[in-house]
Amino acid sequence: MIPGGGGISSSNSSTSSWAPTTWVSASGKRIQREMVELNNDPPRDCSAGPKGDNLYHWIATIIGTPGTPYQGGIFFLDIIFPTDYPFKPPQVVFKTRIYHCNVDADGHVSMGILKDGWSPALTITKVLLAVRSILANPDPYNAVVPGIAHLYLGDRAKHDDIAAECTIRFAK
Amino acid sequence: MVNEEQKRCSPRNQRNPLTGSNVENSNTLFSPRFKTAAALAGWDEEALLLASLVVEDTPDRDSRIKKRSILNSKSPHTSSRRKRRAQRSPHSIPVAVLNLDEEETPKKESVKKKKEKKTCANEGTQGSKVEGSELKEKVFDVSSSTPTLPCIDKLRDELSCAICLEICFEPSTTPCGHSFCRKCLRSAADKCGKKCPKCRQLISNGRSCTVNTVLWNTIQLLFPQEVEARKAASASKVRHTSATSNIPEAAFYNNLRNQSTERASGASSRGMSTRRNNVIIEDEDAALVRRFHREIDGQSQGIRVVHVHNNSRNGTSSSSVRTRTRRGITSQDEDVALAQRLQREEFMQAFRGKNQEQQTSASSSSSLSLALANVRAMALRVRDRRI
Repeated sequence: MIPGGGGISSSNSSTSSWAPTTWVSASGKRIQREMVELNNDPPRDCSAGPKGDNLYHWIATIIGTPGTPYQGGIFFLDIIFPTDYPFKPPQVVFKTRIYHCNVDADGHVSMGILKDGWSPALTITKVLLAVRSILANPDPYNAVVPGIAHLYLGDRAKHDDIAAECTIRFAK
Repeated sequence: MVNEEQKRCSPRNQRNPLTGSNVENSNTLFSPRFKTAAALAGWDEEALLLASLVVEDTPDRDSRIKKRSILNSKSPHTSSRRKRRAQRSPHSIPVAVLNLDEEETPKKESVKKKKEKKTCANEGTQGSKVEGSELKEKVFDVSSSTPTLPCIDKLRDELSCAICLEICFEPSTTPCGHSFCRKCLRSAADKCGKKCPKCRQLISNGRSCTVNTVLWNTIQLLFPQEVEARKAASASKVRHTSATSNIPEAAFYNNLRNQSTERASGASSRGMSTRRNNVIIEDEDAALVRRFHREIDGQSQGIRVVHVHNNSRNGTSSSSVRTRTRRGITSQDEDVALAQRLQREEFMQAFRGKNQEQQTSASSSSSLSLALANVRAMALRVRDRRI
């Protein structure tokens, strides 16, 4: 009359069958999602994707915006995601040498949103756009290379000449 | 095979079950033949669900026409049918909502048109007037078979959590008006400081965040598949972390999954009705169903009957206490509750005997256990309401 007996065992067997074989972490899922979105709607002059099998290590390129001393240069960047991404910011490093007051000798980018200003609602697309915008408009008041910042503020033309020369030498 | 199908689906045969069922409630609105037709047309459960809503809202005649147009699209035209269509044509104008859809899906429509023309060319005898009315019916058909809203992608973007980039799961809204998954917001508040991830306004402690019920219900209605997938994922995650222990939530969610797969294959109207009930009164039912599953799981794991009964007794008594305090019910319902409990214990004992026999039986009977759980939940609710 009450045909529930078989269902008891089957409900157990079904739970095991529904368990996924590979469990992707929340950060991995989010990075995958960002990858899909980046491919669907890539930002202008930027591209990014995983370096190899490792989802947490990306390589990105930014093409220097025309009208800036970096125009025509192709800049390669490494992006390393922490395991608790997006709650911690990714690490963005220039692999191509660049003459810029906000990028140190090792290529580490110094930006507010990659440090204390990070928010989990930011995505790699937004980070790349931010990097692209500091190439066009350096922030000499939060510089990591004081010499370049000084030159930028004191003699803008000379700064631009050096930057353009560096772009031709290293980024073309 | 196809011919046979057409014969069975002739309009006269098909009218009877429909008009009969129109008298009944919406659960039995679709005849089995309609369901097979829907399955052939590749409708999924959502389409059926939506179609049922459409049918409920529209007059009988429209629904009948729609049904016939589906059949027409599969079968070649005959002169008798043409005559009937000509009589019917004034009624075949689609409703305004569907006109909107028609504009939104010109591609599909054009595909349909092409098909239409092909069939006409093959027959060669079709008049242009008939084609026009046929087309209108087709449009109706198209619009009802594509239940997704045209702005569903925008909605998906709007209802996504900025932190996990997926559809918000149990969304929680900050004082500044931004919504995130409750879990995501909590982790963000823990790890990134008590600032809104979107606008950086100070937010109160992430622990105290509550689910935005309206938003959550909306999301559940709009993206049932995503929500279920997420539920199942979280359930399995819990299972992974504590594999040995018995998780009622997991069983509950997995049964929801079972239900959905069942519906996908069978698409029974009963399943649809329970599904709709589930969506609306899930909050109420969830606790009850979970408790039942706990009992069931406990038994299947071979825990002694006495123990299980103790559990269930504790469970029900505590819950009845809860309902009593909440609804201010007198001692009269204590008796009812007791009777109910005893009855259930009897049931459980009866199961146990069967369970040991059918321990290895196929998984098809999971639907039965689910149905049983639903029935009991329903009975309990009815009891609560009555008192």
